[in-house]
Amino acid sequence: MPAAPHHPENTVRALIESPHVSAATRAALLDRLETAAQPYTPQFFDADTFALLQAVCARLLPQPERAAPIEVAPRIDERLAAGLSDGWRYDVLPPDREAYRLGLGGIQQEAQAQFGQPFAQLAPEQQDETLRRVQQATAAGAAWQTLDGPRFFEELLAEATALYYQHPLAQEEIGYVGMADLPAWTRIGLDEREDREPQPIQP
Amino acid sequence: MPGEESLEEGVLNPSKPTVEPDIQDPLLRQLLQTSPPPQPQQQPVPTPRAEVDCIVIGTGAGGAPLLARLAMAGLKVVALEAGPRHDARRDFATDEKAQEFLFWNDERLSAGRTPTSFGNNNSGTGVGGSTLHYTAYTPRAQPDDLRLRTEFGVGEDWPLSYDDLAPYYDELEHFLGISGPSPYPWGPARRRGYPLAPLPLNGAAQLMQRACEQLGIRTSPAANAALSARYYQEGIGWREACTNRGFCQAGCSVGAKASMDVTFLPLAEAHGAEIWPNCFVTEIERDAQGAITGVVYETDGQQQRLGCRTLFLCAGAVETPRLLLLNELALSSGQVGRNFMAHPGIQVWGTFDEMVRPYKGIPGALISEDTHRPTDADFAGGYLLQSIGVMPVTFASQVARGRGLWGQPLRDYMRQYNHIAGINILGDCLPHADNYLELADEKDARGLPKPRVHFSFHDNEERMTAHAEKLMRRIWDAAGARDIWAFPRSAHVIGTCRMGLSGDYAVVDTDGRAFGVPNLYICDNSVFPSALSVNPALTIMALSLRTADRFLETQKRLDTKTKS
Repeated sequence: MPAAPHHPENTVRALIESPHVSAATRAALLDRLETAAQPYTPQFFDADTFALLQAVCARLLPQPERAAPIEVAPRIDERLAAGLSDGWRYDVLPPDREAYRLGLGGIQQEAQAQFGQPFAQLAPEQQDETLRRVQQATAAGAAWQTLDGPRFFEELLAEATALYYQHPLAQEEIGYVGMADLPAWTRIGLDEREDREPQPIQP
Repeated sequence: MPGEESLEEGVLNPSKPTVEPDIQDPLLRQLLQTSPPPQPQQQPVPTPRAEVDCIVIGTGAGGAPLLARLAMAGLKVVALEAGPRHDARRDFATDEKAQEFLFWNDERLSAGRTPTSFGNNNSGTGVGGSTLHYTAYTPRAQPDDLRLRTEFGVGEDWPLSYDDLAPYYDELEHFLGISGPSPYPWGPARRRGYPLAPLPLNGAAQLMQRACEQLGIRTSPAANAALSARYYQEGIGWREACTNRGFCQAGCSVGAKASMDVTFLPLAEAHGAEIWPNCFVTEIERDAQGAITGVVYETDGQQQRLGCRTLFLCAGAVETPRLLLLNELALSSGQVGRNFMAHPGIQVWGTFDEMVRPYKGIPGALISEDTHRPTDADFAGGYLLQSIGVMPVTFASQVARGRGLWGQPLRDYMRQYNHIAGINILGDCLPHADNYLELADEKDARGLPKPRVHFSFHDNEERMTAHAEKLMRRIWDAAGARDIWAFPRSAHVIGTCRMGLSGDYAVVDTDGRAFGVPNLYICDNSVFPSALSVNPALTIMALSLRTADRFLETQKRLDTKTKS
């Protein structure tokens, strides 16, 4: 795979303030930036479980280049505390709150079983190996007798991924500037670029 | 204001079954016949309550067109919509997260070997229903789509023909302002072309067009219910042209997409229809003969009641059967909830050297129906091919679910977002006995059982999917893609209250009227006897207009009888 393109920093922040972004869109994006910057106290998980969730999410979406990584664990905790749903769930999984409690417990069990230490204290490669076992249905441990590991992992990964790419800076990272759609896109064909769309910096 | 009475006692409903038994004893019967009529205190005097000619439950593609038709015929009609009313121009953001309110987010349980997803995959809520969310892709069904059993010996025939639908397709295309190619390359000749030229092709469409040309597959700009030019809509006024913001699936803020909130619903209101948002219907009430007398709905945490002479249930292929099952209504055929179908909708993605920027332009810009009846098919029915644009969060979620990528590989792959393009299919699905909707033991926030939907692809769907994946990989190869991968999925919710000629195996008749319940009509994707090889929205709307016309015919006949 060729090295991934990068995009100039501050593209999205500058666009948000521009007349190319509608008031409703601007309000949503600024609110998300603001919320993400706030310190967060877990409401649903206890402190230890929340720290475990953070450690898991840090492997799903590692951000070594960011001084302040985009945190997705707070958003998951918020959602579970509020009891919100995205409209469906796999029937093989228990309700979301229970699935998260069981699943995180199972990850901890698997870390102990394989490496004799809590997940958070493992080396990154060991953490990845633990998660891979859950994803591939090879994790042992009591939790995985009742919880479908691959489906739980899929749900956790899909939620964490969606939360990450909802963040304006993650959108900037991939060169998405669809939020700046005013007054219209007119150059929409292959290799056609509107002036306000950033040029990628080839590595 | 929506109904002002609170819930009262004494009207029959399924939780209090008080249907009077037939009196078997001849002496008692005689006594009752000669005695004065039953004392009013047996049934507490009902407080006066509002009654309208027709209640329509749901304001999507099934409910909105008929609401307008009924209002234009002078009937007093009220639509009850579970979701809120939006001001799309002011409130709709170009942001997937911010638009999550658009989806039906009450949890549904997805069971089966290939569980289908709900939420943002196929549902909407609010005034306009799921048309707030649809991609505006509006091909017509082809005549043989309606005769699957005749042609292949599997699936079901529709009890009506293409000729019954064609005049409605024509009317809709011109009323909604559909942008598309004229003449349309597939299907029977048409009375007239689309009223507007096709929308411009985006990057994915150009790639697919180029490759299909090499491979000898015919393509065409697709028919989309989004305006390629400003359009004057009878009874509504001017609607603005599409600005290519690529955001159809999460709500149009321009009014260019023909969702019901900017087309049939304002038309209905202009003719006196009322639309009451935030009204979630929980009960359907009947009299001793089983005729519907009205509904009970929740609004603002209060229960309210509204009476009607005829009920139109247009809540979609999940909520419609759910409401019938909850109310033990129209169940005599045993088919409510059965025959659940979802279109095979496998997507194939690839990475291109060219800059695609998949967030721009109408998402489904290009179509091919050359696969409607492939000569080398080892399955019944067929499918259509379409190019697809995609928004970043939706795409990232699919990468996570479909490729199972995480960690650095996920972030590296996503950095190529602007070079990624997709094609997908939409294909027929057969009804299978183990694909059905039921009420689960688990309750939702209202205390009502959640719907559980069992869905598994069988041989026919698997073979069609394999055929399509092979073809789409060839197309993307020819287009110069690398790192091609497939995301198997299903789209749309269909069936569960099927239409047919007999109440032995169907829930509604050809006019959309429920067997066994004279004043109940159902109109949405639940009545489809087969899934069709095209997106359902245009056909739902056609059925909606037809259902209204058939109903109005019967009213006319009744009026004539009364007068003579």
